[in-house]
Amino acid sequence: MSDNRPLDFGQFWYSLGKELSEVPIAAETETLTMRSTDFADLYGIHISSIGPYAIYGYLSIPKGDGPFPVIYYVPKNASVLEIIPQGTSNQIRSRYITFSLACRGMRTADSPYAAMYPGQLTEGIESFSSYLYRGVVADTLRGLDFLLTCPSIDKSSIVAWGNDNALLAGALHGAVTHIVSTPSFLYDTINQASRTSSYPLEEFNDYLRHNPERKGQISEILSYYDLRFHSSAITAESLIMADYDGGLFDKKTLRNLTENMNGAVTVHPSERSSYKDGMFCEKWITDKLFGKDATPIVPNHWKLE
Amino acid sequence: MGVDRDYRCRVTKPEDFNEFWGLVLDELSSIELNVECEKDELRSDSEVTVYQIFYDSLDHVRISGWYSVPNTPVNRLPAILLVPGYQSDPPIPKDWSAKGYACLSVNPREKVRSRSQFDPGYPGLLTHRIVDKNTYSYRGFYADAWRGIDFLLSRGEVDSERIGVAGSSQGGGLAITTSAMRKEIKAASAGAPYLCGFMDAIELTDTYPYQEINDYLRTYPDRLEEVESTLAYFDGISFADQIDCPIIVNLGLQDNVCPPETGYALFETIGSKDKKLFEYEGHGHEAGRYVHSGIMDQFFDKYLKG
Repeated sequence: MSDNRPLDFGQFWYSLGKELSEVPIAAETETLTMRSTDFADLYGIHISSIGPYAIYGYLSIPKGDGPFPVIYYVPKNASVLEIIPQGTSNQIRSRYITFSLACRGMRTADSPYAAMYPGQLTEGIESFSSYLYRGVVADTLRGLDFLLTCPSIDKSSIVAWGNDNALLAGALHGAVTHIVSTPSFLYDTINQASRTSSYPLEEFNDYLRHNPERKGQISEILSYYDLRFHSSAITAESLIMADYDGGLFDKKTLRNLTENMNGAVTVHPSERSSYKDGMFCEKWITDKLFGKDATPIVPNHWKLE
Repeated sequence: MGVDRDYRCRVTKPEDFNEFWGLVLDELSSIELNVECEKDELRSDSEVTVYQIFYDSLDHVRISGWYSVPNTPVNRLPAILLVPGYQSDPPIPKDWSAKGYACLSVNPREKVRSRSQFDPGYPGLLTHRIVDKNTYSYRGFYADAWRGIDFLLSRGEVDSERIGVAGSSQGGGLAITTSAMRKEIKAASAGAPYLCGFMDAIELTDTYPYQEINDYLRTYPDRLEEVESTLAYFDGISFADQIDCPIIVNLGLQDNVCPPETGYALFETIGSKDKKLFEYEGHGHEAGRYVHSGIMDQFFDKYLKG
């Protein structure tokens, strides 16, 4: 097990940043008329990342004069790119600029590489240089580079929202002011995987069952991505959506992340209800960006209290 | 204000509904299954063997799936057809096989590994050719799921008298249509069913994926009649009276994706005398999964293992 931050951790990520900075963003924008409404316009965005590799995102901009706060939906560990996450009120697009990004391997960014799910998390994990996730992180950061070029964004309110990648974005890119994250696979990965047979972590168990001699090497590679070692670089105000108490990523388990972050942190143990957890997120972010008197924008069936 | 449990959807089952789907089934039966089944060593473990499988479906589209069986030797196994959600990737069903079932997790057309011949995208699948029932995306999509039963029947280790279907969200809708159309199904579990009460759902919700239909109708308002006409053939509520196997349905009363009102309307229409509804107050689209998974286990144990 690798419980220590690698000695060249900073150099590893500096090199990635330098490599990314040498690749032009080269954005191309297309208007997606069918998905535009009377309160927001939707655009398809083609940008370049390291490799070079072409990635794609959906950018929604509210009608009217900005600047607008931003919700950046970071790349998922799943094939489908959504405009906004399933079940989110479409009206959210009237208040925020939203940007959802497909990293390499996801649909709309799957040429030449189409990822498998499961499969993405161990693709190329044989070596530091071939591990796919280095590119995934670069893509995540490139999404923020692109957002900073948009004239109508409010740079004081940029939320990275999603899985572990939201925390990596906060640690590695200075633009992120707020984070809403549900850690799922980059926290003490091999140890956590040994406690479950569920995907996505089962992907690592599958790999190590067939390649047990590589455990030390894999642990070392994953340590560069381990959220524990990125925690001190996170200064954004953050909401960590933990598992219910006793769950795999519960509040207690995640303390080596949450207690070392350098911004204010709220940890919310899951109430095992997508409604209750979702309401908590929407209230939290509305409170942080608009104040306690503002009303969160929630889907119709969450207004029936 | 709460959810209206007496809500009824406006969909009317078309008079030629059975004729339409009968022709689809005839066409499907004329296509050879052409099964490929290859052991996936990487995903197999000491308890479960996993296979990557493929078969041919409507329009000769090649459909993929994950098939898993328990390693413990048993003469004949009960089986589950696991049907997927709209935007999620179909899971490897090792957990089902660890409980003693042969399980096919099917990837209908457009899903990962089943999209080389058909790929309208997300968003897009829900409205692809929505003005024509004969070329609408879900004509093939439904058939791909139903054909999973033919795959299970082709397996020597599967007991053809003990096959069930389970799914949530789109999987809930597919569990409804599959149990209606394939009499081999002996027990069905449908969670938070999608694809039921389409035209009501687009007014009750403000979320994707149903928003895809609103996006379409905002762009092409003159096509409303054609859209509604097509969807009546694909609405789970139109299928539901033909279900005669034991079935359980679970709803989250704060479901922000598939409105619970449509779930109530669906449940009312289900033809089976052995049907039970589980309502979860304070729950969203996960529809009480953490509690309900135990109920599902007991249900399938009773009807497929009992």
